[in-house]
Amino acid sequence: MSDKPARAIKLNVLNEPKDSYTGGPSSLCPGCGHDQISSVIITAAWENGIQPHRIAKMSGIGCSSKTPAYYLGQSHGFNTVHGRMPSVTTGAYAINKDLLYLGVSGDGDSASIGIGQLIHAIRRNMDMVYIVENNGVYGLTKGQYSATADVGSKKKKGAANETQPIDLCALAINLGCTFVARSFSGSKKQLTSLIKAAMSHKGFALIDVISPCVTFNNNDESMRSYGYVKENEITLHMADYIPHFNPIEEVEVPEGHFREITLHDGSIIRLETISEEHDPSDPMAALTALHKAEVSKKHVTGLLYFDASKPSLAEDLGLVDTPLVDVPDEVLRPGPESLDALNAEFLS
Amino acid sequence: MDTIANDFTINIATANGTGSQSANLILLQSLFEMGVPVSGKNLFPSNISGLPTWYIVRLSDKGYQAPGDRTHIQILVNPATWEEDIAALEPGSVVIWNSDTKKKTVEREDIISYPIPMSSLARKINPKIAKLVTNIIYVGVLAELLNIDQACLESAVARQFKGKSTAIELNITALGLGRDYCKENIVKEDPYVSESRKSEKPQFFIEGNEAAALGAHYGGVQLLAWYPITPSSSLAESVIAYGPRLRSDDDGNQTMAVIQAEDELAAAGMVLGAGWAGGRGMTATSGPGISLMQEFIGLAYFAEIPSVFWDVNRVGPSTGLPTRTQQSDIAMLYEGSHGDTQHIVLMPGTVEECFEFGWRAFDYTERFQTPVFGLSDLDLGMNRWACEGFTYPDTPMDRGKVVRDQDIFDAFETFGRYLDVDGDGVPYRTLPGSGMAPILYRGTGHNPMGVYSEKPEDYYNLMERLKEKINNARDILPAPILREEEECEVGIIYLGSMENTIQEIDDILEATGLKVSQCRVRALPFHSEVQAFIERHKTVIVLEINRDGQLYGILRRELPNNLVTKVHSVAYSDGMPPRASIYADRVHAKLKEVSQ
Repeated sequence: MSDKPARAIKLNVLNEPKDSYTGGPSSLCPGCGHDQISSVIITAAWENGIQPHRIAKMSGIGCSSKTPAYYLGQSHGFNTVHGRMPSVTTGAYAINKDLLYLGVSGDGDSASIGIGQLIHAIRRNMDMVYIVENNGVYGLTKGQYSATADVGSKKKKGAANETQPIDLCALAINLGCTFVARSFSGSKKQLTSLIKAAMSHKGFALIDVISPCVTFNNNDESMRSYGYVKENEITLHMADYIPHFNPIEEVEVPEGHFREITLHDGSIIRLETISEEHDPSDPMAALTALHKAEVSKKHVTGLLYFDASKPSLAEDLGLVDTPLVDVPDEVLRPGPESLDALNAEFLS
Repeated sequence: MDTIANDFTINIATANGTGSQSANLILLQSLFEMGVPVSGKNLFPSNISGLPTWYIVRLSDKGYQAPGDRTHIQILVNPATWEEDIAALEPGSVVIWNSDTKKKTVEREDIISYPIPMSSLARKINPKIAKLVTNIIYVGVLAELLNIDQACLESAVARQFKGKSTAIELNITALGLGRDYCKENIVKEDPYVSESRKSEKPQFFIEGNEAAALGAHYGGVQLLAWYPITPSSSLAESVIAYGPRLRSDDDGNQTMAVIQAEDELAAAGMVLGAGWAGGRGMTATSGPGISLMQEFIGLAYFAEIPSVFWDVNRVGPSTGLPTRTQQSDIAMLYEGSHGDTQHIVLMPGTVEECFEFGWRAFDYTERFQTPVFGLSDLDLGMNRWACEGFTYPDTPMDRGKVVRDQDIFDAFETFGRYLDVDGDGVPYRTLPGSGMAPILYRGTGHNPMGVYSEKPEDYYNLMERLKEKINNARDILPAPILREEEECEVGIIYLGSMENTIQEIDDILEATGLKVSQCRVRALPFHSEVQAFIERHKTVIVLEINRDGQLYGILRRELPNNLVTKVHSVAYSDGMPPRASIYADRVHAKLKEVSQ
């Protein structure tokens, strides 16, 4: 790329400008955490050099689920029904397993109405990136608590929440989810590395992103406000993503302890220890970190748990190599001789 | 004594989970192999083991396949229903009973009683499996009494136990014990016999569910997503069972995915995902499953996603009678989901049609980009019906208006996902992964370009186009089957598995001097032939197996006002497969009522 003029537009490994990965203008509230996540998705997909039309954008219903309109305008997408995005994605995947399925959901979508579908998609190790834009409230219906609202947290209007929250990361780890991370929409660098790594993972990658709702839940008494999360974030490690097409030397090697995890496509996520070392292959360590954070009313972020050993849904389905959508009709329909043989057997 | 050949009904009372089903199928199959026109109905409980089950075998040279009005030969093995079964018999009926049953006997003087020590005979073979063998003993007894051909019997056993030589041997020995006991100890006092018939065309027995599953394979199904529910499970399981044979490459990899979903909602979601991605997805369920799928059905209609749903109707509402039959999901399918909707419903009446609609459903759903339902029922789906063979699809797969090539795409002046280019209400689509005209599909209002819109004219035009699209399907869908003689004043409209009873109803009516024409509706929305049929008759009765006359209700609403008054409903359901005399009586009563 050295022959390009200095002021040329920056291109990725596919020679695509970042513009090829953007979407329409957002209609969310100015300052919404979700818009930051959308911009990270654009960056991650662009920097990872994924052909935009080979991504399928999937979502359910809610503020978060509207966002696929705001990124990856060259990708087909499906804004499905409330909480049911995992099943639609699973069906699409069975027909075209070669696309990258990028699901975006919210806490109402994933922790309430759609929790069953989330659980079963994890159980199948469905090959997809599943981002939860988690703000603890229902936005479109104007500010009711969701099932992830922390105990003692108080939104802008009404009483504090006293109901035990559902921690989607703890749930996922207990279910054997193969990639579990938590992040914060304000931690752009960490979130970018995690989303890139999730895109390189084969299997279900859950990223639970705390994404403040500026309209209903960004007051000081809220445990999901920008201010609170910034003050109370425990970062497990710095995360660097090294794409498989980049020579490793080009990446700045962090000092001190680090751990490298090789992802399915050969890319690497490098986790640099910040305080005590976290072992992402140990589910107990991950659950302990989550528990400790919860009792101290903090949010722990980073790659909590990772397991590359489990087969993903593709292996379980026992399909031909060609994605089913590309199998010709003549192959899909068994030939007349097969029906003649069946009729003859039935009659014998 | 005059004999009565091939015109009587056998009722076998057992408990479920005791192996009686295989014994009963051997009886049915052996009669079938003799060429006797015979039908079997399994009346089973929603239970795994121990509750009463009845199996009804009707021999009828006239080809009647309904259970008939009465039992001529009662087999009594189940003490739980003993007294009830005896009390229900008409004088002169035959009772073949297990005389080893504790504290049970048959005391009625006006019936013919054949006590058989079934349990002791069974114990002679193997005490450990005496309970199982008891069932095959009564088949041996019946074989002797009815003069069932031994070769046909043995062939039926071989078919039932497909190559398992120990089981075949054991069953043939048990049949012999039953036969021999009968020969030596029973003096036949009844007139009933079976007689071989030379059938014109060779036939085999098959269940509607298996036929629909085979049809799906010949439609190139690419995803089966399902959740187990009676009476549709065997449809899904047959799709799975034929996968290795019909859909595998040399390495055993298939061109069809199967996912057992976590519930019916997810099954429907997967089917939509498949359709969205450009594949042929289907699910098989029953009424309760369709209730759960309503939200996705609306999405498929509004976002125009191909998707196939088979509903094997059971008795509702709610959990209802899960192992009984009904035609009560018609209205729910036709107008499934909230808002204004209208869906294509295919309604097979024979196993051949289960197969044919099994593959055609995919062509219709892709052609019209809308959900398509197959409506079968427990009677058609889970009982065995005679079939002469399945016919290979006579048309290539219709994949609808999918733009796959860039050249074709480039030739469009403007490409909009929901733009009605051809004026037939069916727009063009591109597939995810193609890079052509990507859009965000949604269940919200949208304009012809697929962009979110709340504009009044966008919503209005979209809804009108969808209506027009389904309307245009009418005469492309399977036409009704008409049996019509010009002089008839009365016409009967019916659907689905009533096909198996209509001839007997017709004969009963004709015996009382009432000649009727028949019109079997095979799809919704109604074909224009249905209205023409109504126009040609003075009075039309819509006959269906439900309480409310659902098909009648739809018809009434869609007919021009001047025809509505001609049409009347006879709807009846008690959970049982339709019995001809009940419907014939009600047709008479209705005609009397409307003539006053």
